[in-house]
Amino acid sequence: MASGKVSTSIFKQDNQPVYVLHSYPFKETSLVVELFTRDFGRVAAVAKGARRPRSAMRGMLQSFQPLLGAWSGKLELKTLHSLEWYAGLLMLQGEALMCGFYMNELLLRLLAREDAHEMLFDDYGLTLKALAAAPSDSANILRRFELRLLQQLGYAVPLTHNIKDEAVLADAQYFYVPEMGPVSLQHDYQENGVQLSGKTLLDMDKDDYADVQTQQQSKQLMRLLISHYLGDKPLHTRQLLMDLQDL
Amino acid sequence: MSTPASLEQLIEALRCLPGVGPKSATRMAYYLLQRDRPGANLLANALDTALQVVGHCQLCNTFSEQPVCPMCASGNRDSSLLCVVEMPTDMMMMEQTHAFEGMYFVLMGRLSPLDGVGPKEIGLEKLLKRAQDGLVKEVVLATNYTVEGEATAHYISEMLAKHGLKLTRIARGMPMGGEIEHVDSGTLAQAMMERRKVL
Repeated sequence: MASGKVSTSIFKQDNQPVYVLHSYPFKETSLVVELFTRDFGRVAAVAKGARRPRSAMRGMLQSFQPLLGAWSGKLELKTLHSLEWYAGLLMLQGEALMCGFYMNELLLRLLAREDAHEMLFDDYGLTLKALAAAPSDSANILRRFELRLLQQLGYAVPLTHNIKDEAVLADAQYFYVPEMGPVSLQHDYQENGVQLSGKTLLDMDKDDYADVQTQQQSKQLMRLLISHYLGDKPLHTRQLLMDLQDL
Repeated sequence: MSTPASLEQLIEALRCLPGVGPKSATRMAYYLLQRDRPGANLLANALDTALQVVGHCQLCNTFSEQPVCPMCASGNRDSSLLCVVEMPTDMMMMEQTHAFEGMYFVLMGRLSPLDGVGPKEIGLEKLLKRAQDGLVKEVVLATNYTVEGEATAHYISEMLAKHGLKLTRIARGMPMGGEIEHVDSGTLAQAMMERRKVL
């Protein structure tokens, strides 16, 4: 082996658990596939010839299915060699399918390339399973995923203590400021924020979304935080969900 | 050396084709002007004519030179059945089967939430009007079995849900003459999940 600076294993990966987040046409017959991989984070790879009618990969390139992928390459854009069927079929239908698209858009927008988040990958798989099993509970399932996503990406979302490090009280009202956390209502922050009860914050910390007020307020809070980290460009899937509700 | 302005314009115009970058566009432009001027003329005229005469059929939304395409105008199709497909090629394939006697509606695309293709970008409003002509009883959703096709089918079913129409989705599973040994796992899993009662 040469100097051994870069181990050859970085160039070629086999049997890696992946999900397809999105794909778009590339040249005449190929696709660029955005993969969410367990051990390497978000990876972009070219699936050569995947748009040919008899391509073996064609049927496998579907989002929301747990797959095993093999790719190689040392540049940002890898070459995808194969995708294989892995742990069983996930049937996302109707609203659950739309929620799946929303999760994929969040991951595409918020995940940096090749930055591994193993726990987030496992959470993503569990969330898809939960959506497939209980589509009527999709709102609460999404709230959990949104919160975990932000936490795993390293954005602090303080829930149990206010910015003065005092414990949040269930029956008090707070004003939540992105990047800061809950502050008392007599605040002098100019930024956008939402008003919510301490109970909502504590419920979210306990992963308990049974209360109707918690559901409403956590939705507002997560929407505020996600738009804060996403920047100005709106989410396409959110628009589609709104269009669906207006029908 | 600077490229003449009109040549530059041609190269820029050719780049509107899918998969054509600056290099291919330059090659095409040089070829047309240097090697095949009659061909270029033919292309220009064909493009011009097509742009002027080809529109969308008022009923099925496919490309048509007449306001209503020959198939919709023929009168010997079952107007209580409406099959929704994504592209004109899908309609052609469906026709080759001779298994469907009803009318079609071509969306000219599919919802693709992650690319920002929403309901307004494809013919969904037109479909809503078309399905309510009083004759249509059943709408067959024949969009692709991809995640985008499924999303489109879901949107259409939500859109048409309150209008008292029967909504069906084309089936999926084992291909014709399919051997279990050689079929892909996804299809096989679907076929098992959506198995039907024999007796």
